[in-house]
This record gives sequence, structure tokens and C-alpha cells, in this order.
Amino acid sequence: MCRTGQQPDPHDSGRGAWTDAAFAALLEDSAEELYDSAPCGYLSTLMDGTIAKINATLLGWLGRDRAEVVGRMRFTDLLTVGGKLYHETHYAPLLRMQGEISGIALEVKRSDGVRMPVLVSSAVKHGSTGEPVLIRTTLFDARDRRAYEEELLRGRKEAEKARKQAEEARRQAEEARRQAEADRARLQEALAVLQQSLLPADLPPIPGMSTAAHYHTASPDRLGGDFYDVFPLDGKRFAFFLGDVCGKGPQAAAVTSLTRYTLRAAALHESDPVTALTTLDTVLHERYTGTGDPRYCTAIFGTVDPDPVSGHATVRLASGGHPPALVLRADGTADYLPTPGGFLVGALPGARFATTGTVLGPGDTLLLYTDGLTEARTGTSRDSLYGDDALLAFATTHAGDAPDALVHALTDLLAGFGDGLDDDTALLALGVPAPAPTPSRT
Amino acid sequence: MMSPLNITVTDTTAGPVLEITGELDYSNATRLRDLLPTLTLESGRRLVLDLAGLTFCDSSGITALIAARTHAQAAGADAALAAVPANTLRILRIVGLDQVFALYPDSEAASRV
Repeated sequence: MCRTGQQPDPHDSGRGAWTDAAFAALLEDSAEELYDSAPCGYLSTLMDGTIAKINATLLGWLGRDRAEVVGRMRFTDLLTVGGKLYHETHYAPLLRMQGEISGIALEVKRSDGVRMPVLVSSAVKHGSTGEPVLIRTTLFDARDRRAYEEELLRGRKEAEKARKQAEEARRQAEEARRQAEADRARLQEALAVLQQSLLPADLPPIPGMSTAAHYHTASPDRLGGDFYDVFPLDGKRFAFFLGDVCGKGPQAAAVTSLTRYTLRAAALHESDPVTALTTLDTVLHERYTGTGDPRYCTAIFGTVDPDPVSGHATVRLASGGHPPALVLRADGTADYLPTPGGFLVGALPGARFATTGTVLGPGDTLLLYTDGLTEARTGTSRDSLYGDDALLAFATTHAGDAPDALVHALTDLLAGFGDGLDDDTALLALGVPAPAPTPSRT
Repeated sequence: MMSPLNITVTDTTAGPVLEITGELDYSNATRLRDLLPTLTLESGRRLVLDLAGLTFCDSSGITALIAARTHAQAAGADAALAAVPANTLRILRIVGLDQVFALYPDSEAASRV
């Protein structure tokens, strides 16, 4: 609310003496005095920009005398180079077009060269015939405002910088995550390839017999230590083996690889099962004794000699510390083929291996397995295991099954253990097909 | 459920007795192996592994038992197992170690050389 200064406020009569004095002082404040000492800069220029009138406030800001400015300088002479340019390209054209312009931020240059930010407004005064006569310009001190703006700008720049840094950090984290995922995928792929190289891609067909195998990997990140293989010895006989290397991971895989190729080479040289295991024992000993990292395996090695005339297959087995093989008969019975006294392969000098043998008739199947199967946990306690008796009972119910049907049933059994199956498990079954008419067993 | 591995060493006139209780497996079998070089074993003495309190032993545990035997033999001593629980004995039989280690019903009998 403001006073007009002409009419005393009727409610203010109690303080009449004081207000009268104040009004007297205001009235003495001449228009000239107000112009010269106003808290803003005033400037009037001719239409060509020559300064015709300037107030003391603005002269004070500029640090100049009236004499050196009036009639001698143009408005643009007060501006910085950038300000001149802006004036030329924007300010003056807009002013000409609109007749007035307000609130433009410019910088004036003081006599000492220091720049001072100002907010500039101008209006064109027209003569009685409507022609432009002069330009009246007001300048407000914008130093505080500029400082505030600069502060805002700096704050905004810093926020922007922080945002960019955060974005960059996020991008790098994302990149690292993607890289880690790619590395992990690559590693798993490499591990899968390596794992496959430890096992035969396909079992070779054995005339007059059928075979089936299964490998359960407990963890895709850890190379398993179980292995098996089937391969021809000569025109007639075949060799096979299945085993379990102690430990897990790359070191165990290296032992598995060494074991597989040693047994293959040994068997081609001398097919006797005990000799094959003895050769492996020697090789593992030489390789790992004195390394401070003893490595050994358990294994069953066998040969099978199918007789096409009788339809029977003669099996010879040697075991080095491996769980006993199972034989499932066509008559519905099943039995272990015990091999007690066979030593771990590669663990002890002078290891002995146990031998056994059997003859498979039509409908009979031999099953080799690793202890992942019998040691699968079936209860909450760590030693409530599936066990030999349960496996024998399971085998008995499947006696007469062809190898692929038996392995299929065992695969289902393994799946049923769920988390209880925390070790790799290998299965290998060899059988003589039952005679027709049982097409499912051929 | 899991019982932690604990190994107590006692020196007898016959040699050191290691009382192994709890579960000896993949996660902790190196503790037994790391302990071996610290044992004082002289030629003709015997290292006894008392397994009365062993509740579980996997293939890594078996490896550690073999390492104990190898270590004893390197010093000219031998190694014996005492009070082997049935489930561990079953595994030892499968892998043939029942013929490699001298087996005794308890550590006292094992230390009576």
C-alpha cells in the first residue's frame, strides 16, 4: 500500500505532526534530484545512440564524468564487446520494431575495465508527429542477481557433472556385469566342452549287445571327476571302464583325462583288466607322487567278448577300489559282482586289484555306476544314504530291462533325489538283448 | 546338523594319537593334512588316528587318511586306525584301505605296539 501524498490519512490524525514533516521533506525532493540519485541508472540517447542525458548513479557505476560521456559517447560505447554485438543484432532491432524492450541482461564496462552486469530496459519517445525522437534507457544493478545466477549455474553444472559421473559409474557397473556374465557364459561353455571331451560322444555299437550311459553333473561350474568309456579292442572284443577321480574341478579333470587315455592305450597294448589298472596305477603314481597333491581314482575296467553263436557275452572285470558292479538277469534277479580287496588306483604303492567275471545271457544286463548314486542323501542326516541295499532292490525290480530302459529308470531315480544328489554320477549299462518277441528289449 | 571337525593330539610312548571327531570332508580335510608336518614322528613309532567320534567321512577325508599314512611312512613310522565307525569302514573296504591300515577297536589297543 502506498500513500498518494496528497490526502492525509483520516485515521492517522493522532500522529499528525510527524507525518506533516515527512511529507514536507518528500515535496522538497525535486524530480531532478530523483532522476539524478535514483537507485537505478538513467540514460537518454538520440536515435543514433549518442548519449544526451545520463544520471549521476550511472556515472558513478561507470566511474566517468558527465563531460566525457554526454554528447561524446554512444550507449554501445558503454557495453562490452559481447554486449555491443548483442545490442546490434537483437536489442536495437527489437527496440525499433516494438518501441520498447525490457529486462535484458547486458554488461557495461567501467572506466577501470571492470565489467558490471546490468538489466537494461529501453523505450522510444516519439515526437508530436509520431516520429522517434530519443531513446530512454534504464539500467538496474544486476551484480547480486548475476552472482546468484552464477551460483545457480555452477550448482546446476555440478549437479550435471555428478549426474554424468553417476551415469558413467552405472554404465561401467553395467558393462562390468555384462562382461562378468559373458565371461561366466564363456567359462561354462569351455567347461562343458572340456567335460564332453572326458566322455565319449557316442558309445560304439557292439555286435550282439546293446549299451546305454548317463552322466549327471552336480554343478555346471565344477568339472566332474566321473568318467566312462567303451571302445573296440580287436575285431571281436570290446573294453569298457567307469570310474571316479577324487576331488573336483580342473585338477580332477586333468586326472580324468590322463586316466581315460591311459586306460585306452593300456588296453590296446594288453587287454587284461588287471594289467590295464596296474598301468594306470603306475602312471598316476609317477605323475602325482611328490607333488604334494596326491591324486587317485576308483575304477572298474572290463572286457566283453560276445559270442554270436551262443548269444552269450563273457565279461571279465577288475576293480580298483570301486563300488561293485551289478548284474540284472533276465529271470528277474539281480546281484552284485563283489570285488573286495581292490585298491584305489594311484594312491598306494604296490596296489592290488580284484577280479571277477560273469557271462551275460539274453536279457541280462551289467550295470556300472559311481558312488554318487549310492551315496545320494535320502534323509536330513548326512549319513542317511540311498545305499547298496536300496540299489539292489531297485535293480531287482528292473531285472530283465534292456540297458537303455534301465538307465532311463535310474535317471528318473537320480532326479527324484533332488538336492540329495550332490555329487556327479556316471552310469554305464551293457546287455545282451532278450530274444524276440519282446521288441522293447531289442 | 553338521558337527564341526575337531582334532586333538595326544603324545603317547608309542607315538602321537589324533582324536578326530565330527565330519571330515571336502570343506575341512586339509586341516588334518596341514596338521601332519607338525607331528613328532620317529622311526619305529606309530601314528594312531582315533576315529571313534568321526560322524562322516567323504573321499577328501579318505585322501587325508592316506596322506597321514604316507607321512608316517616317510618318517619310518606306521599308521593305524582305531575305532573306525561302520559307515567309514564300509568305504575303507570298498577302496581297499582296510588292508593297508592296521585297524584296532580303540586307540589304547592301537598304541600297544
